[in-house]
Amino acid sequence: MRERVKIVAGYLAGFALLFLVWHLAAVFVVKSALFPSPIPVFVRAQWLIEENILQEQVWASLRRILQGFALGTALGIPIGLAIGSFKPVRVLLEPWTEFFRFIPAVAMITVAVIWFGIGEESKIFLIAYTTIFVIIISTAAGVGAVERNKIRAAQALGASRFQVFALVALPATVPFILTGMRLAMANSFVTIVAAELIASNDGLGKMLWDARLFMEINDIFVALVALGLLGFATDRCFRLAIRAFAGRYNPTM
Amino acid sequence: MALVSLEVVGKTYRGRSGAYEAVRDFSLELAEGEFFCLLGTSGCGKTTVLNMLAGFEAPTAGRITLDGRPVSKPAAERGVVFQGTDSLYDWLNARDNIAFGLRLAGVGRAERRAVAERFLALVGLAGAGDKHPAELSGGMKQRIQIARALANNPRMLLMDEPFGALDAMTRNILQAELTRIWQEARKTVLFITHDIEEACALATRIGVMKRGPGGTLKTVVPVDLPFPRDRTSDAFMAIFRHVHAAIREEIVAV
Ligand SMILES: Nc1ncnc2c1ncn2[C@@H]1O[C@H](COP(=O)(O)OP(=O)(O)O)[C@@H](O)[C@H]1O
Ligand SMILES: [Mg+2]
Repeated sequence: MRERVKIVAGYLAGFALLFLVWHLAAVFVVKSALFPSPIPVFVRAQWLIEENILQEQVWASLRRILQGFALGTALGIPIGLAIGSFKPVRVLLEPWTEFFRFIPAVAMITVAVIWFGIGEESKIFLIAYTTIFVIIISTAAGVGAVERNKIRAAQALGASRFQVFALVALPATVPFILTGMRLAMANSFVTIVAAELIASNDGLGKMLWDARLFMEINDIFVALVALGLLGFATDRCFRLAIRAFAGRYNPTM
Repeated sequence: MALVSLEVVGKTYRGRSGAYEAVRDFSLELAEGEFFCLLGTSGCGKTTVLNMLAGFEAPTAGRITLDGRPVSKPAAERGVVFQGTDSLYDWLNARDNIAFGLRLAGVGRAERRAVAERFLALVGLAGAGDKHPAELSGGMKQRIQIARALANNPRMLLMDEPFGALDAMTRNILQAELTRIWQEARKTVLFITHDIEEACALATRIGVMKRGPGGTLKTVVPVDLPFPRDRTSDAFMAIFRHVHAAIREEIVAV
């Protein structure tokens, strides 16, 4: 418990330092209207929050991320398990994963908009696309990394093939899946901003785009700070969830 | 009739670097209830013999039978204790690790728990049932492995250098415990080691292996000493010297 208080205090101090450095750089080094200090940015953020504008943009982006992420994860885990468990499946699907892995989600924005329009569907598709390959690859790697003796021990205790899969390979793979999910979540932030910058009616990416059009420099910085904080908070939540789930048996998680 | 019989068993590994005959003409019969130590230098083929008996690997020559039935794949009648501790399930606590075989067999929760508690106590870990492997010492993990194998009530126990990675003190304690457990559980044990003293302390018979390639049984030394054994007694020393002489030739011959 004391440890946790220390960590939170450290994080707060770290953020305070970040904003201090930003302030000093803006006021004493750059001295340009194009690089505001945090003070007018926070004032602007407060107004945007009071008007309920910032919350709406944040929620628009976050909702898309969560929906696409859930879809990509739900599809990716079984595919990854199949690739990791059965050689024919791996040989068959490896060209797929290795092919699409090198077509970044950002490059898919155009087709996504053509296929699904400018609304929610295209964003969810793009986030799911970003997520699924990371999940597939980490899940398959996890299945491949199960120690041989864990499998042999189960066989020598009388396990069937299905029991080896369900009671040994699957739980042994969970830490890999969770790590893959964390990575995919970080990638989702990149994708959603890019997608909203190019084609969207709301969200933090759209907010960035509009602010540039109207030269609302403070709005740009509000959106950037919101993205950073949102990503930070999401990743922390993820880490806490992973700890609660796997921490007792895997101290490295 | 012997419980286990290996008849001129051989194993040749074929890999990218060509064929390697790890074990050749290996013949042995184990009687019900005996504690057989297979002793040999590193790389002589001890683990290979155990893996074939466990059913993890198929022999490329000869025949292995248990109760007259051929051994072809792993089964609950042959419990295994592995060399390292990576065979324990990190996501299960000690109790659930021990009850894993019962769970596979569809035994109910209450009975699993009761059996696990009994075997936790047998290996001296009563009260540690809620701990996960990451929270246990190396010696405790090996105790869990032994309990896990025994709780499944196998016909025989195959142990591959289970104490090899432990410090000398812990190893001595566990050797004494294993003798007690073996006497209580009345299982046939095949125990692999490269430690002469360990073999002399535990075994009712010691099989000394010739080094590879073509590792095989060189001699079998009966150890007719009562338990618990006094390692400083003349009788113990005499057997130690006898086995030592047999294995020394294998070391010097390198
Ligand atoms: N899967 C394998 N493929 C090729 N060679 C192997 C394999 N397993 C073991 N060997 C070789 O067989 C010999 C005996 O190995 P092993 O039975 O593990 O020895 P020990 O347990 O007595 O130390 C060694 O030379 C080893 O390199
Ligand atoms: Mg070995």
